[in-house]
Amino acid sequence: MTLESGLPEVVSDDENLARFLFSGRFYKAARVLSAAFMPNPNDHETSISRKDAEPAEELWRLAPAAAPGRSLHGAAVFKARVAREARLEVVADEPPPRHAVIRGWFWDEADPDLQRARQKEAAQVIASGSEFIPFPMSVSDLHFT
Amino acid sequence: MSRPVSIIGGCVVGGFAALGVYAHVGSAVSHTANAASKAACAVWQSAVSSEALYGTQVTALSDLRALALECAEANWDGYGAAAIDELAVRNAEDVLFALPPGIPMPDLAPEPNGGVSLEWFRSRNQMFSISVNRGLRLAYAWLDGSDRGHAVARFDQRVIPAGILEGIKRIILDDSGVRAA
Repeated sequence: MTLESGLPEVVSDDENLARFLFSGRFYKAARVLSAAFMPNPNDHETSISRKDAEPAEELWRLAPAAAPGRSLHGAAVFKARVAREARLEVVADEPPPRHAVIRGWFWDEADPDLQRARQKEAAQVIASGSEFIPFPMSVSDLHFT
Repeated sequence: MSRPVSIIGGCVVGGFAALGVYAHVGSAVSHTANAASKAACAVWQSAVSSEALYGTQVTALSDLRALALECAEANWDGYGAAAIDELAVRNAEDVLFALPPGIPMPDLAPEPNGGVSLEWFRSRNQMFSISVNRGLRLAYAWLDGSDRGHAVARFDQRVIPAGILEGIKRIILDDSGVRAA
């Protein structure tokens, strides 16, 4: 089954995902910091976009839908399998086209500190498997393993 | 609900020890209190600006203040993040001040819940992070090759908890105890 974007409904392990970075505080040099992947406190999810084999320009075209009016610094790109290795779920969430979310973050309102510690560990796993792509470098120049 | 960071004549945060009490101003203060706060703020800035006293901590504290300003309003990340929390910034200051000599300053980052992240990085698979928030329990996590984990430790605002300090050292020092490049 395919979505309106033409992508399959199920996000495969080998799919490249992009977390658009609208703050310069989420990366240092070519490294993405784990804070970039921490979940939103309202919906408990991390918003991402599915990066197919299309030219890099297509990736950047998706950014305004993620955060209208924001200036884009770049994107953290990683395989879906990396997030799953952190025991998180990656699910399609259209519209907008190609939008997906990371969910399944540990949540325990009774112990928010432990909650953050566990989330941090998962975010580190994603950060370690991510490449920072500064806007507007070509995504196709990178090879993900 | 997060409270925006106080900004008094360019002094954004003041958090540690007695000066911190005066360097912060709430929404309703007297003229006298305001003047005292400004004076304390000036003293604090002067002290913090002294390289002889605090060395590389000055740069980190300055970066923390800049971060607090940049993220003082909600949605600073474009995804609906909470405004950076003043108490979290003060606590992060205290953590930076408490780091013993020989421990490099971490990379600082805001977190979507209004907290502050302190991260030490050695390689792609070796990092240590502390999540500092309103309370004095520090959430931390590490990734060290195939080993990874998380924990929470209480911070007394003076001494870095032993588990955290050992964890940082494990990441940033090589086997001979020398700081990794």
